[in-house]
Amino acid sequence: MGADKKPVIQVRNLHKVYSIGKNKVHALNGVSLDIYEGEFCAIVGTSGSGKSTMLNMLAGLEKPTKGQVVINGEHIETMNENQLVKFRRDHVGFIFQSFNLLQTMTAQENVALPLVFRGEDKKVRLKKAGDLLDLVGLPEHKKHKPNEMSGGQQQRVGVARALVVDPEIIFADEPTGNLDSNTSRDIMNMMQKVVREQKKTLVMVTHDNHLASFADRIFHIIDGKIVKIEDNRQGENEE
Amino acid sequence: MRFIDLLRMSVSNLWRRKLRTFLTVLGVIIGTASIVVMISLGLGLSKSTMEQIEQSGGLTTITVREGGGVSYSSGSVAVAVDSSSSDENSGKITDETAEKIMAIPHVEIASPVLSLYPILKCGAYEGNISVRAMTTEALKAMDIPLAEGASLPLDEENLQFLYGNQIITNFYNAKTNEYYWDTGVLPDIDLTNDPVFFIMDSDAYWNAKYGGTDENGNPVAQPKKYMYESTGLVAGTAEEYNEFSWEAYCNIEALKTQLKRIFKNSKIPNQPTRSNGKPYKEWYYEEMYVKVDEMENVTEVQQQISDMGYYAYSNAEWVEQMEGQYAMVQAVLGGIGAVSLFVAAIGIANTMMMSIYERTKEIGIMKVLGCSLGRIRDLFLMEAGFIGLSGGVVGLILSYGISALINTLLSESYYSSISYIPLWLSGVALVFAVLIGMLAGLMPALRAMRLSALSALRNE
Ligand SMILES: Nc1ncnc2c1ncn2[C@@H]1O[C@H](COP(=O)(O)OP(=O)(O)OP(=O)(O)O)[C@@H](O)[C@H]1O
Ligand SMILES: [Mg+2]
Repeated sequence: MGADKKPVIQVRNLHKVYSIGKNKVHALNGVSLDIYEGEFCAIVGTSGSGKSTMLNMLAGLEKPTKGQVVINGEHIETMNENQLVKFRRDHVGFIFQSFNLLQTMTAQENVALPLVFRGEDKKVRLKKAGDLLDLVGLPEHKKHKPNEMSGGQQQRVGVARALVVDPEIIFADEPTGNLDSNTSRDIMNMMQKVVREQKKTLVMVTHDNHLASFADRIFHIIDGKIVKIEDNRQGENEE
Repeated sequence: MRFIDLLRMSVSNLWRRKLRTFLTVLGVIIGTASIVVMISLGLGLSKSTMEQIEQSGGLTTITVREGGGVSYSSGSVAVAVDSSSSDENSGKITDETAEKIMAIPHVEIASPVLSLYPILKCGAYEGNISVRAMTTEALKAMDIPLAEGASLPLDEENLQFLYGNQIITNFYNAKTNEYYWDTGVLPDIDLTNDPVFFIMDSDAYWNAKYGGTDENGNPVAQPKKYMYESTGLVAGTAEEYNEFSWEAYCNIEALKTQLKRIFKNSKIPNQPTRSNGKPYKEWYYEEMYVKVDEMENVTEVQQQISDMGYYAYSNAEWVEQMEGQYAMVQAVLGGIGAVSLFVAAIGIANTMMMSIYERTKEIGIMKVLGCSLGRIRDLFLMEAGFIGLSGGVVGLILSYGISALINTLLSESYYSSISYIPLWLSGVALVFAVLIGMLAGLMPALRAMRLSALSALRNE
C-alpha cells in the first residue's frame, strides 16, 4: 500500500560522527529510510543507539556528517540556519521529552507562540490555541502557567503547540519519557487519534517497545543502523 | 513576527526582572542627566555671552571709523605721506564712502552716522546729550526696542528725536547743578511730551555764558534754541541699560536740512573746517553703520573696508574666538558626563549578558519553534534599546529639573541663564541614550542569535 504514496521524508545513507578528542563516535552509521504521508512512525532502540541524533537531523537541528535528508522534496542538509528556521516554521511541529514550555507564559500563550513567529494576529492565534487546548483535553487550563500543571498536562500543551501551526510533520523525542505509564498511554492515545484525524505525519522516538506499538511502522535502530522495520498495519515484517 | 509582538515580548521580559531592569535604567538615568546637565552649563555660558555680544551691536554689523589713510599693502609708504588735495580725503568718511561700501557684495546697509552733541533744555533742567543721525534704513535695521507709544524718527523732512531711556539721568537742575546721581531723584521731565529746546552749537552756548569771544574779539552771542518733535523713548526704565539707552536718534536727512538752515555758510558744530576756517561743501562723518546680510560674510566685508583705508570693527573675531573656547568647554564638560554614560553602557551589556544566560533555554525553544535569527537578535537589541530609552527619558526629565534648580539658586547672577537645555540637546540625548543601549546590547544580542538551538535546549 505504501508504494503508491509519495514519501514525505527520504533519508539516504545518513552518517553522523561526533569527535570527542581523538575518539570518534559513529552515532549514525548509514541510515536510509522513507516515511510516507500520514504515517505514524516510531524509532525504537536502546539508549545511545542514535535515535535522538536521527530525529534532530530530520528536523534540521543538526547537520549530518554525510548523506541526504529530503523532506517534501527539499534537501535539508544543504540549508543554512535561516532557511532551516523558516523550514521548521512552515512545515514542522516539535514535541520534547522535557516539554520545553516557556515558564512565564500561560498554556494558551505557549501554544500560540509558534504563531507569533509566523506573524499571526493576536486574536487569531489565541483563538487557534484555545481550540487546540480544547482538543487535547485541557479546556480548563488555558490560563495556567506550566508550573501550575502536572507533567501530563504540560505535555498535552506541548502536543497542542506542535499542532498549532498545522504542520505536515511532527517530530516527538520521547514525548512520554517523563510521564508515568498510565499518563503515557493517555497521551499516546490522544496523539494517535489527533494524528489520524488530521492526517499528519508523526515521527516519534522511544526506547519503549510497548509505546512504539501505537505506531503504524516501527524502525528498530541499533548502534546507528536500522536493523528492522515493522509494519503494524499488516502485522508483517519487511526488509 | 510582527513588530508589536516583538515590542510586547521585550517589554514583558524587562518587566519580569523589575529590580534588575530598574537598576540598569538608573545607571542610564544618571549617565544621561550628567551629560545633559554638563553640556547645558556650557551652552548656558555661551548663550549668555552671545546675548552680551548681541547687546553690543549684533553679529552682522560693522562699525566703520575714519582711518589713518589708504593702507598700501604693497609697502610704498612714501606715497601716503604726501598730503595733496586729493589725499586729504583719504580715510575720511563721506557720502562717497557710503556708496563705495554699498557696492561691496553682501552689504545691505551703509549708513553714515552724523554725530552731534547739543545741549537740551527742558523745564528747570539742562542736559548734554549725544545725537546719532542715521538713514531711515539703518534706523529700521537696528531693532531699537521702543517704549509704548514710541516710534522711529523716520520723517526725512521734519526733524524728530527718539530718546534713549537713560538719557534723562544726564539732565541736571540748572539752578542747583545737581544730577540724578547726586539726588537719586529722577528729573521731573517727560521727554516725550514736554517741550524740549535744543542748542545745537554748544561751544557758542558756553562761550556766551562765560563771556568768551570769537576770533575777531567780539563777544559771542547766545545761540538760538530750537524745539523739535519727539517720537518717544527707547524701551526700558532709567536704570535698564541697553545698546540704545544713552543716545538720541534722528533721521540724517532731516538733521542735515536743519543744520544747513541754522548755520547757513558758517561752521557746523562737529564738522571739520579747511585750514582757513571755512567749512567744506560736503559732509564728513565720524562713523558709519554697515549691515551685512549674513554673519559668515562679516569678516570678508570687514577686510575689504579696511583695505579701503578705514578702521572697521565688528564682533566677528570676538564671536569666533568665543565659539572656539566654548566648544572646548562643552567638549570637556560633555566628556565628563560621557564617562558616567559609558559606565551605564557597561551596566546594560552586563544585564543583557545575564539575561541571555538565564534565557538560554528559552532562546533554544524559540529557535526550534521557528523564530528567525534576526528576530532573536532584534528582541535583545530592543530590550537594550528600551533600557536606554527609558533611562534617557527619565534622565532628561531629571536634567530639566536640575537645570531649573541651578538657574533659580544662582539667579542673582549677571547671566540670563547658567544652564540652558535647547530642544536639540534633548533630542540628541534621547537618541544617544537609545543608541548607547543598543550598542551595549549588540554583543549580547549577537551571542543570543548564534546560540545553537540544540545546545540551548540541553541547557538546564
Ligand atoms: N553532542 C554530542 N557530542 C558527542 N557525542 C554525542 C553527542 N550527542 C550524542 N552523542 C553520542 O551519540 C550517540 C547517540 O546518541 P543519541 O542521543 O542519539 O542516543 P539516543 O538513542 O537518543 O539515546 P537515549 O535513548 O538515551 O536518549 C551516543 O553514543 C552519544 O554519546
Ligand atoms: Mg535521546
